[in-house]
Amino acid sequence: MFSLLEKLLYASKGLNSKRAMLLEKAHEGALKQFLSVPFPDKNTAISDIDILAVDFETTGLNAKTDKLLSVGYVGVKSGLIKLGESEHQIIQSHGELNKDNVVIHQITDGEKANGDELKVVVDKLLLAMAGKVMLVHYANIERSFLQQACIELYGMAPVWPIIDTLVLAKTRLDRSDTPYDPHHLRLANLRASYDLPAHHQHNALNDALATGELFLAQMQHYDQGLKTPLKEFLL
Amino acid sequence: MSTELADIHDFIKAIEPFDQLPKDSIANIVRNISICYVRQGEQLPPAGISEPMLYFLRKGALAYYGANDELLGKYGEGDICTVFCSPEEDFAVKVIPEEDTLLCAINCAELKSVISDFPFVHNFFLQSGAQRLKQQVSKINEEALLTSTLMNTSIDDFYHGPAVTIDKRESIKTAATKMTELNFSCLVVVDEHDGLAGIVTDKDLRRRCIAQGLNFSRPVSDIMTENVELIDHNFSAYDALIKMTSQHIHHLPVSKNGALVGMLTVTDLMNQEGLNAVNLSSTIGKAKSVEELAKISKLLPKLQIRMAKLGSTANHVGKTISALTTAFTNKLIHMAKEQYGHEPVPFAWLAAGSQARQEQFAHSDQDNALIISNEMRPEDDEWFKQLATFVTDGLNACGFIYCPGDVMATNAKWRQPQRVWQQYFDSWVNTPEPMALMHSSVFFDLHCVYGEVDLLAQVQANMLQQTQRNTLFIAHLSTNALKLRPPLGFFRDFVLISNGKHKKTLDLKHNGIAPIVDLARIYALSEGITEVNTIERLKQAAGTASLSTKSAANLIDAFEFMGMLRAEHQAGQLQAGIEPDNYLSPKEISRLEREHLKDAFKVIKTMQANRQTTFG
Repeated sequence: MFSLLEKLLYASKGLNSKRAMLLEKAHEGALKQFLSVPFPDKNTAISDIDILAVDFETTGLNAKTDKLLSVGYVGVKSGLIKLGESEHQIIQSHGELNKDNVVIHQITDGEKANGDELKVVVDKLLLAMAGKVMLVHYANIERSFLQQACIELYGMAPVWPIIDTLVLAKTRLDRSDTPYDPHHLRLANLRASYDLPAHHQHNALNDALATGELFLAQMQHYDQGLKTPLKEFLL
Repeated sequence: MSTELADIHDFIKAIEPFDQLPKDSIANIVRNISICYVRQGEQLPPAGISEPMLYFLRKGALAYYGANDELLGKYGEGDICTVFCSPEEDFAVKVIPEEDTLLCAINCAELKSVISDFPFVHNFFLQSGAQRLKQQVSKINEEALLTSTLMNTSIDDFYHGPAVTIDKRESIKTAATKMTELNFSCLVVVDEHDGLAGIVTDKDLRRRCIAQGLNFSRPVSDIMTENVELIDHNFSAYDALIKMTSQHIHHLPVSKNGALVGMLTVTDLMNQEGLNAVNLSSTIGKAKSVEELAKISKLLPKLQIRMAKLGSTANHVGKTISALTTAFTNKLIHMAKEQYGHEPVPFAWLAAGSQARQEQFAHSDQDNALIISNEMRPEDDEWFKQLATFVTDGLNACGFIYCPGDVMATNAKWRQPQRVWQQYFDSWVNTPEPMALMHSSVFFDLHCVYGEVDLLAQVQANMLQQTQRNTLFIAHLSTNALKLRPPLGFFRDFVLISNGKHKKTLDLKHNGIAPIVDLARIYALSEGITEVNTIERLKQAAGTASLSTKSAANLIDAFEFMGMLRAEHQAGQLQAGIEPDNYLSPKEISRLEREHLKDAFKVIKTMQANRQTTFG
């Protein structure tokens, strides 16, 4: 897709320039629409940023071999999570689910068969994410699965500005210079440390909401609170 | 939007009154919710919210403060904060998280449109808890107004004026002639300066003149009743009735700005309402034996049923029953004196607890005590012991059963000269022990039923002077008072008694009424208020350092509401021939009443929390 020169150039660019370069190559469709909206300026106060808290349920950790099962997301802005801007979609796929996994994510074969096609789901997600910052807990999963899906669907993997609540927590803990158990960085444990209520885990939307709530708490504990610039949070 | 926000959905669904909404409406509410997180100490509404919102408290705690930064109440998980939704609500109210708090916010207008089809839910939000309670109480009072005009009519509408007077130097014959001409049963006797000297009634003519063969030309002052009390024209007819019933008098001179303006007779009141209480009280006065009294006492539960059915407030019922108990006690003391002769030294017969507070219901147990003049010699005790035994036995026969805690004049400990009582109070107040205080709290509600009022008044005045200064005493009293908690659970649900005979009921007395009585006592003792009636105590404490005017009004409403529920509950039991108790099953009352009861409990909870923060 890119020439070697373009690849070198691409690698040296910031997110917004990468987005612009990708936009030139993108075909008509949801991905192009997503790429056509500039990413927010990283010096903008976090309160003015449109954020989308996202969570995926998958059959495993490997984006190449495992499948995306469901997608959940909810909008966050000005320190408020807007439940009206939430979505939960199950992806249609055939082939039986691993029994052990069903216990965790509680998506049955029946639901899966009635779900939407991967393209419908990813199109919708990309449109919802246009101009926004993606908020996830442990970005590797969501980023790699979404990149993989985009390569399969549109022939190219875009970029996203991402806030990772796990990384925010980790940075904070590392800075405090006290040893901690890595388990402490799990979503449920971090929520508990902020006195947030227990949540219904392993449902993509509830996990996305749980991530959003954790981020509200984390933001409020920055010295500048909601006035803190976006760059302080970005991956 | 997804319908799968299970956590939020379940959270909203568990909060009253949303539990009554169908699933679709809950989903509709969830769709309109914004979640926010407010740090401890920051004020609501949170940054980012500019429209009026209703908040559901998902995690954390909120404290409400009034205009003078006084704590109005605290709210916990599962509570709703409506302050910003009701424009008529005090804008001075500040809502501040006590800890980091997670809130679900919904635009008030949007919420309104979702619940507009559900009047019950809609009405629920029209007022705050305290306001809802207030409305319910005023509705009850309206019923009382319709059924019992006496309570709500001032003496102004009854009395005859101007009062017909006679100079005290005039003859008895002149008085009789004047009364006959005017067809009056009573004249006001005045002195040379037109000041009130006494009254002369038909009864005085009969008993003190004709029956005694007294010369009719003697001055009327010879037969008049002296030391007559005036009643201000602003008092209610009911207050007048209570005064007449408890003092066995049928005439009350009425004053306006201190000057005599007329006369009120019991007939005036009886014409207004068929007054069983008056009839009962005069029957008590005429009784010849304890057996007769016991027979009359059987009417008490019936009177209570009738009053409850008529919609009388609990305050009204309590005052009437207490006045009648006083009449029984008075009569029994008279009977005892006929049997054992006059008292060797002055004394005061005291009612303690609910009778003193004028909050007694039929079938209460008796609490009483004797303060005897310090001139008492050791051998005099025999007379007082006989008196105590006679009166307590008599009261027991009349259905006021012996006090299980032995708070009775028959107990030598509670039959003591004034100086010993003074020592009792000194030690309770100055070296308080929680346990001892719990047992003696009944003595902080005392009322003189018979005898030398001053004996009690002096002890009380000393005691109040000390309690006002003694924070340790007030703190211990508070600790005890906080042991009785309203049975409210996490999500505003009732916590019912879980086993035994009263399974699945609420103890209205111990968890609802008693905590308010306790709080009122603490306020009174901290502020040096002599009054012992709970509502009066709260009224007088209102606006002092101990109690804001608004909180006082809330507590009075809660007290009246729970008292009314208890009166109705007991009326039902009395009518069914069951021994009345205070155990109310939530099933017994309507859904609306259940909500109001929760509001009432909530008021108590809030005020107890306040107490706790004062003396944590």
